[in-house]
Amino acid sequence: MKLTIGHLYPDLLNLYGDRGNIQCLMKRCQWRGIEAETIAFESNDRVDFSGLDIVLLGGGSDREQMLVCEKLKEIRDDFKSYVESDGVVIAICGGYQLLGKYYKTDQGTITGLELVDMYTEQGEGRLIHNIVLKSELFDMPIVGFENHGGRTCIQNNKPLGKVLTGAGNDGTSGYEGVVYRNVIGTYLHGPLLPKNPQLADWLILRALKKKYGEEVELTDLDDTQEKEANDYIYKRFVK
Amino acid sequence: MKIRRIAAVWAAKTAGFVCKKMGRQGVTWAGKIALKIYPPILKELAAEVRKDIFAVCGTNGKTTTNNMLCAALEAEGQKVICNHTGSNMLNGVVAAFVLGAKLNGHMDADYACIEADEASTKYIFPQISPDYMVLTNLFRDQLDRYGEIDITMNILETMIRSVPEMKVIVNGDDALSAYLAMDSGNPCVFYGISRPVMKNETNEIREGRFCKKCGARLEYSFYHYSQLGDYSCPQCGFKRPLPDYDAEDVQVGDRLSFRVENRLISANYKGFYNVYNILAAYAGVRTAGFQAEHFTDMLKKFNPENGRMEQFRIQGTGILLNLAKNPAGFNQNISAVMQDPSPKDVIIAINDNAQDGIDISWLWDVDFDRFGEESIRSITVSGIRCQDMRLRLKYVDIPSILEPDVEKAIRDRIKDGTGNLYVLVNYTALFSTRSILKKLEGEQK
Repeated sequence: MKLTIGHLYPDLLNLYGDRGNIQCLMKRCQWRGIEAETIAFESNDRVDFSGLDIVLLGGGSDREQMLVCEKLKEIRDDFKSYVESDGVVIAICGGYQLLGKYYKTDQGTITGLELVDMYTEQGEGRLIHNIVLKSELFDMPIVGFENHGGRTCIQNNKPLGKVLTGAGNDGTSGYEGVVYRNVIGTYLHGPLLPKNPQLADWLILRALKKKYGEEVELTDLDDTQEKEANDYIYKRFVK
Repeated sequence: MKIRRIAAVWAAKTAGFVCKKMGRQGVTWAGKIALKIYPPILKELAAEVRKDIFAVCGTNGKTTTNNMLCAALEAEGQKVICNHTGSNMLNGVVAAFVLGAKLNGHMDADYACIEADEASTKYIFPQISPDYMVLTNLFRDQLDRYGEIDITMNILETMIRSVPEMKVIVNGDDALSAYLAMDSGNPCVFYGISRPVMKNETNEIREGRFCKKCGARLEYSFYHYSQLGDYSCPQCGFKRPLPDYDAEDVQVGDRLSFRVENRLISANYKGFYNVYNILAAYAGVRTAGFQAEHFTDMLKKFNPENGRMEQFRIQGTGILLNLAKNPAGFNQNISAVMQDPSPKDVIIAINDNAQDGIDISWLWDVDFDRFGEESIRSITVSGIRCQDMRLRLKYVDIPSILEPDVEKAIRDRIKDGTGNLYVLVNYTALFSTRSILKKLEGEQK
């Protein structure tokens, strides 16, 4: 089996250790004997979604998001059909905001990809915290770090998790992130996946099932170190 | 008013003395007290500096460059005020002046060398109006505290423009710093390295890949490290300026050497990045109008004892302590460690206190895979976020030993290691680790 990961615009969206998310997906495939490849699409490249099994959209500064916004227009339709046919997407921070209709800042409005019915508006001050979530998808808590000025409203979509500590989508709803079909959007970096191996495996399994059929299963890995690192954050900030 | 100023100086000196007795890094406290008692103290003391004031800014290399510049000016027979310890926010700068003032509340100094935290320049510059600014480089650092690098650049540009006569001595190899200096309209002096020195095949994160002037992608004929290198913009013509001070014949190994203005400079340091620090100090002292005849002698004796590439020898183990607090700095540290081909042990201590930045995601932007070589016999991860560091290494298939207690980690490796130990720590781990090493050094006497 083989998975191809598409990393969108790392030349513009590469804040907060996004490389770690790629590295985590790659290693967790390779350790199980699943072939894994990452294709980095820079802002001048054409993106061909037909060869991709997981798409990662990372975080960038507001200025860089403005630049990315232009590029997104070109791929919006292809990206939409990828998502609607259950393509797997992990979108972090700035990338998460771009999933929605728009991101309104005091510098202007960035038009999003409109893949998920949601929108973001800049709020007073940045939300900068260690953050812990409880998600229905996993037994382990989701731990990470958030740093965002935008407040995201996910409308009637399902959140990724309930906030145990931290601010989350808008600092008031008590929820964080979004899950839509095989798309996960979240403000959590740190990076997200290494300390949340269940989330990493969710993405891998969804991608494998889509490609090779529902009967695919993942072999267990020794996640002692991942669990200890996750547990440390949980105990320190939630107790 | 005069009485309050003297009172402020005396109170600060007392506070400084008490802190020193208690063995604490208490200089910022002294500055805070002085400001409380007499708010205009910094402006007045700075105005009494007889000749010029240097401000040293930039993400990496500030403390080393500033201390070296201070030593270079002293070698020319000047009296210099300097915030040696690297306390670079307003209180720390005030402390340097008040602790350096005479008991009658007046200054007796020809120059001041002031390292300034980029975000704090807005409080410091209006008070001291520097005559020169050294700008070393701009890398991503503490995103949770400073926000994006663009925000830091905006603050710096505003502050540079607020002192229009200030000469900016800038690393021309960094497109971000050079753009800032040129765009400000202030007079500029450039330093740089015009020929490639090291093989650079790393997968480093590079800032500022797009032209700050027009937004097009910059073209590079080579990189030194990170985004430092020879760049030009194919669209608007913005390009690396020709350096006024150009380091040629750069040799990097157990020692560093290079030529500038046909003068051979050599130093007993490791780490390619120190060429930039030395060159910046040299450009500073030359720009101030000195011939810098004593510069090489100064370098021979230069020993800042502040945990930057500081060497210790404990029970037969040679130990090198260095600060590594952001991806650009850490990658340079790794290069320096890997220059040493002999077997070695490495300890990495990572804290997430406020001064470190509470977000440690930057660990994943460091190229730790380069530690996966045979000469690295063991890596011990320590500090508050040792769990994250262990996981970081796991994902490049490098096993590590977990020991949250830094002192125990050091003692263990002295006992069972190769006798060649590198200790790489981030900011708040630096002072405590240095104290531990000093203590262990003392125990053997």
